[in-house]
Amino acid sequence: MSWETVIGLETHVQLSTKTKLFSRASTTFGASPNTNVNLVDCGLPGVLPSVNKEAFYKAIRFGMAINAQINQTSIFDRKNYFYADLPKGYQITQMDLPIVLGGSIEIVSEELVKTINITRAHLEEDAGKSIHDEYDGFSAIDLNRAGTPLLEIVSEPEISSAKEAVAYMKAMHQLVTYLDVSDGNMAQGSLRCDANVSIRKKGYKELGTRTEIKNINSFKFIEKAINFEIKRQIKILEKGEKVVQETRLYDSSKDETRPMRSKEFANDYRYFPEPDLLPVVISDEEIQKIKDEFPELPNEKEIRFQKQFELSAYDAQIIASSKSMADFFEKTAKQTKNYPLLSNWLIGEVSAYLNKELIEINESKLSVENVATLINRIDDQTISGKIAKTIFEEMCINGASPDDIIESQGLKQISDDGAIEEIIDTVIKDNAAQVEAYLQGKDKLFGFFVGQVMKLTQGKANPKAVNTILKEKLKK
Amino acid sequence: MDQETVRTICYLARLEIGQNKSNKIQKDLETIIELIGGLQNIDTSDIEPLYSPLEMTATTHEDVVNSDNKKGKFLENAPASNEDYFLVPRVVE
Amino acid sequence: MTIQFKSIAELRGMLDEKLISVSELTKETFLLAKKYQELNCFVTMNEEFATKKASTIASGDQTSSLLKGIPLAQKDLFCTEGLRTTCSSKILSDFIPPYTATAVKKLEDAGSITIGKTNMDEFAMGSSNETSFFGNVHNPWKKGYVPGGSSGGSAAAVAAGIVPGATGTDTGGSIRQPAAHCGITGLKPTYGRVSRWGMIAFASSLDQAGPLARTAEDCAILLNLMSGHDEKDTTSLNSEVPNFLTNINQSIDGLKIGIIKEFNLGDLDSEVQAQFEESKKTYEKLGAQFLEVSLPNISASVPTYYSIAPAECSSNLSRFDGVRFGHRAENTDDLNDLYIKSRSEGFGDEVKRRILIGTYALSAGYYDAYYKKAQQVRRLIKNDFDHVFKTVDVLMTPTSPNTAFEFGSKGTQNPVELYLEDLFTISSNLAGLPAISIPHGQVHSLPVGLQLIGNFLKEDRLLNIAHVFQKNTDFHLAQPNLEDFS
Repeated sequence: MSWETVIGLETHVQLSTKTKLFSRASTTFGASPNTNVNLVDCGLPGVLPSVNKEAFYKAIRFGMAINAQINQTSIFDRKNYFYADLPKGYQITQMDLPIVLGGSIEIVSEELVKTINITRAHLEEDAGKSIHDEYDGFSAIDLNRAGTPLLEIVSEPEISSAKEAVAYMKAMHQLVTYLDVSDGNMAQGSLRCDANVSIRKKGYKELGTRTEIKNINSFKFIEKAINFEIKRQIKILEKGEKVVQETRLYDSSKDETRPMRSKEFANDYRYFPEPDLLPVVISDEEIQKIKDEFPELPNEKEIRFQKQFELSAYDAQIIASSKSMADFFEKTAKQTKNYPLLSNWLIGEVSAYLNKELIEINESKLSVENVATLINRIDDQTISGKIAKTIFEEMCINGASPDDIIESQGLKQISDDGAIEEIIDTVIKDNAAQVEAYLQGKDKLFGFFVGQVMKLTQGKANPKAVNTILKEKLKK
Repeated sequence: MDQETVRTICYLARLEIGQNKSNKIQKDLETIIELIGGLQNIDTSDIEPLYSPLEMTATTHEDVVNSDNKKGKFLENAPASNEDYFLVPRVVE
Repeated sequence: MTIQFKSIAELRGMLDEKLISVSELTKETFLLAKKYQELNCFVTMNEEFATKKASTIASGDQTSSLLKGIPLAQKDLFCTEGLRTTCSSKILSDFIPPYTATAVKKLEDAGSITIGKTNMDEFAMGSSNETSFFGNVHNPWKKGYVPGGSSGGSAAAVAAGIVPGATGTDTGGSIRQPAAHCGITGLKPTYGRVSRWGMIAFASSLDQAGPLARTAEDCAILLNLMSGHDEKDTTSLNSEVPNFLTNINQSIDGLKIGIIKEFNLGDLDSEVQAQFEESKKTYEKLGAQFLEVSLPNISASVPTYYSIAPAECSSNLSRFDGVRFGHRAENTDDLNDLYIKSRSEGFGDEVKRRILIGTYALSAGYYDAYYKKAQQVRRLIKNDFDHVFKTVDVLMTPTSPNTAFEFGSKGTQNPVELYLEDLFTISSNLAGLPAISIPHGQVHSLPVGLQLIGNFLKEDRLLNIAHVFQKNTDFHLAQPNLEDFS
């Protein structure tokens, strides 16, 4: 039997506003527990919400970028359910009149371009956080996150593999960071998704019973969780049994999904229009302003980088693919002239390091100043490319400045011809046999002499100078 | 309204009604539902619901932080808390 | 010199003429409160803080604020920082808010002194003050009789002459009906006139705070200070607030008063009816004209209200879950058990009934038939009002179909019986309109109230019409005999 996977994603994007969706408390991540909480966020008796319009502007920017319909009048609804980190006993969300309707997003998976349609995107407030494992017998509630604006983006069930789901989330990440709608920090939960997964026989129209995997917050886990779920469901169907519609949780330590216990009761959310908030209307002038101030998107940036910095199409595309990388490149380019060397480094060493650590450049210890200095030191021949790699490793670990590392470890390149000549003379003297062989035509030994010079100088000799002088000396 | 419905809405509302009161509550609810059921006789086709007497649009707040840290007072008001958190019986997700 | 039964305007005069100091006035007020403790108007007294505040206000202090040094009582659903706020519920019986409601804050900032928090129906759900966790409030006019509700404690405290004014809230008549039953004046302003920030919500789209006082003039003084836009309540109106005293003496010659055809007054107690006819004559003498008007959908007010208010309340009261504040049950198995036990122990029967009705009205499959339907009918009712206000200036009805009744005599078998108490008052909440109740006589030695409903934002007109009536009659000056309570 041949099976087909159908996936729809609900992506939760934390909007990068300064204040919460319905209060003026700060949204800063990492504050001491329960300090970014005001009367409204705590859900005290008698408090009332007020709307943060900046969240609307960000949502609209997203809607425009995916060519969606923008509902200039939108209303909030209450979604009623009880949970410890939901202070009011209801979540304020948008049910009937979401701010963004329709639209689509392009993804690239295994070198194929595919369009995924978006059903809707609506604004809602995030819940607080429950910490279940730190206090004996208790769950601890931190309301700092409660009320943080979220844009929930619902895709059509048009994603057909775990890889496509990852590609979709990557495209989403690129878009929301480019639009400055979100910082996109997945480790901090700024971008996370629920995946609705179902299986049907190939060629069939009707959808199979779906399960919902809640709260997945890394590209790696999205792929693993969905793949596990696909296999699990196929196994059930092949036994002739039925998939149970339920909410599941991905446990990364065991690499498996399991039913969520706390959601065992079918809930009836009793949505109704939030009576504490009147409809929010966005004027035509506001829409125009958002259009006028629309940020540059990846393909536009790619073209500009080719023109402005004379990058190759390939380099420009890679650098522009990530907003944080593109910003980093542009800032660094203000402090160094060697753009090709800078882009080589960003695409090579820097990207390799970031990929290994699964972080974005703005989450690393690398600063614009330090990377610019590193490039400049290679460019002005203070250090060799090889030494630069050693220095870079250290910069990644402690964020130290390249100049300090060069100074404290004496890594400055020896470019003084006299000094290099002296060393080369020593090498020639100590390796008479090899010199003999070289002079008789064993050209390959040239590298051996370079190696010996580098060994004696601990890699600090300027390779260009070494080459020239060595060639000169060995002629004699 | 049957006993099962009463049980379901009690659960949704996180309320329990003692055995001795359950018949009375069921009867009360039936009477009230009968009262509001009278609305069915009114023709409301093409009538927009009026969710608020104010047919206006919302005023909004600036995206500028303006908030006191009342952590101490909040936790003090809580039936169970430690120095940092509100505490509830442990939840298994 | 006694301060009992004095109006705000009278007390102002006494203070300004240095016949009494603010400290003495405050002290006298607490003595009265204690003397009539048996009325059970107050849930919590604020003696220490009030006495301190009074001592900082020098008597004869020249001030533009009419309220400086005036003692007031606050309904116990306004949050008051540092002062226990219970909503007359067990679930909040130990709740000390970290902030003060805007309406109360404005009155306090104007120099008034909060004497204490008044008893009420639990979470304002009731029309007789019998659902309070802190026990019944007696009607000052007759022991063992209800003061009306839900602002029963506020109405009784004013009627007994303990304080000259008090705050109340009105979701379906909760200011006007107890004002009527206790023989005082109570105003429900236009929805949005007074900020709801810090007012513990019952039904968000219906709740409105307002004053209870001995006279319409005092209500105007209080409303002047309570009103205004509040950025913390985005449903509060941004409209300019007039000085409600400016036109209060204006002539009402040529005033057009509508009598609602659909309220069949012939069904009422004949004496209530007779009193109503008497007041019509008074107004006619003052130059008003009466017109019969039709509001075809107004009879649907009660079912409409009892669909919308419980639905909103079921959601508003979800925050009382025993997690961040309020009562938490002991010995619970898990989080759900904690919710169920805390809420079931903390809420009284009427609150539970309304939460359940509201939960039902919003649940899948019933939403359209009950909640949405009711909001559609609500628009029809509002349209009816819009229509009649093209021909008349105000509408006049009795405030309540009957006078105050004995404890336990209504609604115990059938809750709907008590819901019908609100027949005349509910529609103005649904439409968001201002309405006032003024005393206009007595039936069987108990006060009866006359209600005037105005168009959107026309509180100044209502206060004017009420004040002119009070200048020409003396029903508002009647004082109950309080011997049974001291």
